[in-house]
Amino acid sequence: MKRELHLTVNGVSYHRLIDTHRTLLEVIRDEIGLTGTKNGCGQGECGACTVLLDGEPVNSCMVLAHEADGHDVVTIEGLADGAVLHPVQRAFVETGAIQCGFCTPGMVLSAKALLDRNPDPTRQEILDGLKGNLCRCTGYVKIIEAVQAASCLLDEEEAS
Amino acid sequence: MKTCIVRRGLPRIDAVPKVTGEARYTVDLKMPGMLIGKILRSPHPHARIRSIDVSAARELEGVLAVITAEDVPGTLFAFMQVMADKHILCTDKVRYVGDEVAAVAAVDDDTAEKAIGLIEVDYELLPPVLSVEDALKPDAPLVHEDKDSNLGFEVERLFGDPDKALAEADYVVEGTYVTHDLAHTCLEVSNCVVKWDKKDRVTVWTNTQAPHTQRQEVARLLGIPRANVRVISSYMGGGFGSKLVTDMKAPIAAVLSRITGRPVRIVNTRSEEFTTAKTRYPYTIHLKTGANKDGRIVVRDMTVIGDNGAYHDKGPATINFSAMMFGTLYNVPNIRAVGKLIYTNRQMGTAFRGFGNPQMAFATESQLDELAEKMGMDPLELRLRNANHAMETTSCGAEVCGCAMTECMEIAAERIGWKQKRNGANGTVLRGVGLANMVHTGGGGRFYGYNSTEAFIKLSDDGTVTLITSALDMGQGAHTAMAQIAAEELGVRLSDVIVLSNDTDLTPYDLGAWGSRATFMNGNAVFEAAREARLALIEAAAEMLEVPAADILVEEGQISVKGSDEKHAIAEIVDHSVNEHGWTISGTGRFVDKLPEGYTIKSAFAKNIPCFSFGTQAVEVEIDAETGQVHVLKVIAAHETGTTINQVMAEGQIEGSVVQGIGFALMERLISEEGRIVNDRFLDYKIPNIGDIPEIEAVCVESEGTKGPLGAKGIGEPGLVPTAPAIANAIYDAIGVRFHELPITREEVVKALREKRE
Repeated sequence: MKRELHLTVNGVSYHRLIDTHRTLLEVIRDEIGLTGTKNGCGQGECGACTVLLDGEPVNSCMVLAHEADGHDVVTIEGLADGAVLHPVQRAFVETGAIQCGFCTPGMVLSAKALLDRNPDPTRQEILDGLKGNLCRCTGYVKIIEAVQAASCLLDEEEAS
Repeated sequence: MKTCIVRRGLPRIDAVPKVTGEARYTVDLKMPGMLIGKILRSPHPHARIRSIDVSAARELEGVLAVITAEDVPGTLFAFMQVMADKHILCTDKVRYVGDEVAAVAAVDDDTAEKAIGLIEVDYELLPPVLSVEDALKPDAPLVHEDKDSNLGFEVERLFGDPDKALAEADYVVEGTYVTHDLAHTCLEVSNCVVKWDKKDRVTVWTNTQAPHTQRQEVARLLGIPRANVRVISSYMGGGFGSKLVTDMKAPIAAVLSRITGRPVRIVNTRSEEFTTAKTRYPYTIHLKTGANKDGRIVVRDMTVIGDNGAYHDKGPATINFSAMMFGTLYNVPNIRAVGKLIYTNRQMGTAFRGFGNPQMAFATESQLDELAEKMGMDPLELRLRNANHAMETTSCGAEVCGCAMTECMEIAAERIGWKQKRNGANGTVLRGVGLANMVHTGGGGRFYGYNSTEAFIKLSDDGTVTLITSALDMGQGAHTAMAQIAAEELGVRLSDVIVLSNDTDLTPYDLGAWGSRATFMNGNAVFEAAREARLALIEAAAEMLEVPAADILVEEGQISVKGSDEKHAIAEIVDHSVNEHGWTISGTGRFVDKLPEGYTIKSAFAKNIPCFSFGTQAVEVEIDAETGQVHVLKVIAAHETGTTINQVMAEGQIEGSVVQGIGFALMERLISEEGRIVNDRFLDYKIPNIGDIPEIEAVCVESEGTKGPLGAKGIGEPGLVPTAPAIANAIYDAIGVRFHELPITREEVVKALREKRE
């Protein structure tokens, strides 16, 4: 059964007729056409589909699209300001925290959400904040470095 | 050697598309009219197919095709065609839970799923063989009834006189070591889109590590000319060996596309990925090692029994490669390596980062510590006395060029605090340190009877450098490494280089990304192409500036003339050359890894390896006696890289490998019940998450003597090889318990500690 759905994704309003059993992930990828959000398992266990729902990181494969009706979604495509990368993205690029890149969108958004909550996380807080995002390539070492570097970049941005 | 672009940890050239979500993976592709294909898979490990009724599925609205074995070519297939044993869709029998029985194409996912549920298969259940032991019993059911037994492959290699050496050695240790089946768990599942067009050309978009060999495989499966198959790969979400040999998705989607006239996509579910995307080959290794009082290892004798699963894939090559590394490590004079692969009614194995070497290293490097203890010798000292050396030819024929093994050992031991912490010397009872060595190929292999590749470079009149290479980037960074090599040799900036790859219509034939091969092989071809383009550029500059070519310098995107301050952008030279004279500037590079004298595929053994890479990992662990939890506290991973092309990416390869090695040693295992894998999701098959990782220090140890581009060697796999035995050795140092079977789970540790107390 289809129902009307209003979503704001990366600041753009979308109005669609969507089946009630569709997930937010399916709508973002298949209806809106933003494929930066990845489907790694479809079971809420890998974090690749992480988006920010009203600023909070969620596994979009575990959210029914209609649960997000009227809410604000940020996907990886919404993070950079034109060609200027968000400090978290810049940190991931510069520290070498990206290999295959399939976990990267979810990892970056979880990291952003963590830094929004806690601008200066300890190593343990970084580990706790990113436990829901699996990566099979990097061994996480440079992802931890990236979050630490992003924290510094955000500090600098605030100071300037 | 002065370098400007290589060695540095420059950001990957694909980092920005990946971090912004712009990068399109195969699973992101959409095409007009695209249908969704799904595969009906066997729910039984072993059964005869009596009949299949597809009528209800065919009648479902939105279903455009339903196929069974009758509708597909009857080709029997295996990676090595002489061992062919698998049909595209099962004809009379299913041989593992997940075997392909039928397939549908429908307008959407839900309809395809529903159609699959409407297909009725009448099975006659057969007794399955679910373990190697069962498969070898004289009255065991046959997985393949056209064969005499379940023995799928057998090989024996002999160097020196191991029986005599074992009889004469001062010390001999003997043991059996068991490793298990693991899933690659690439974050992007295996998937493809296939279009069979009106000109009878089949285009396969897929995430593959080896587009050219997959093209041949798909043509072979479909029984059509190779010219009619084109394979295109995109950004790829991991490989680790799982995407070297085609599976049946591509030919099934091709047939569905031929019938419907539309592109057909088939994407594994995560459950299918765990249960059908193939595993690391589980090994049971019987091993003897003998040494003399002076600490010299004189003999090693190994029998590997590998679980092949239901069909052949990379098993024979995996067994052979394990044996080559077994023969090469420590240059032991007397070697016997026996390998057997046994068919079972289980998921088939395939290549997995390290290609049999991590399994084997668990046995050999664990046993070396047992030997050291028997000899009353420090295990590090024993290893130092037996270290491989540069320029040696080992008893099994391996030609070692560069070798930094001793240096790797010294670095790892020093940085882990070997002397201070060994034997509980750190004062904490349940802490220990251990180490392990490895040797691996750093440049693929000559297993096809050759090892070669090509690359092309063209310079545009705007100064852009286009590099066409077959180097396949599955995430490891091959494109960036190739661009760095090209930029270094051409004298341009990294940002000037565009890499085109991944389409078999565009790129030269190549064997693919495996065996830590791309940097060495593709890198050499790219280097040659860049050299040729550089010469053409210098010639053009000499003409334009009216000076002798010998006086022209190319550096950092600029041309200068010896003894003059004059500088010209490369773009200026190319623009002049192209637009004034019509002279284009390009280069072709071909690298043919020269075969040793008298080489034959059959006899070559370790002479198949063009470049060896050595390394050492030292590990500190802490054991929780209550829970059995092994906490890996620290890993020093010192690996030889020749010349490091990209410092940050090389570290990334080592760090990622170490963490996969920790998963292999302590966490991961596919669990089967009656032939059915029950942990088919990340919740139940736990791979390391960010909270599971220790402090890891990846050390790139540079060495000389390799024939790689600018002296580089591959680093894709080595970091996974010694991790498990280093952990097992550290556990022994901590609690005095020797584990001979992986994974070393909490239950096993608790049990072992209890037994030790009793």
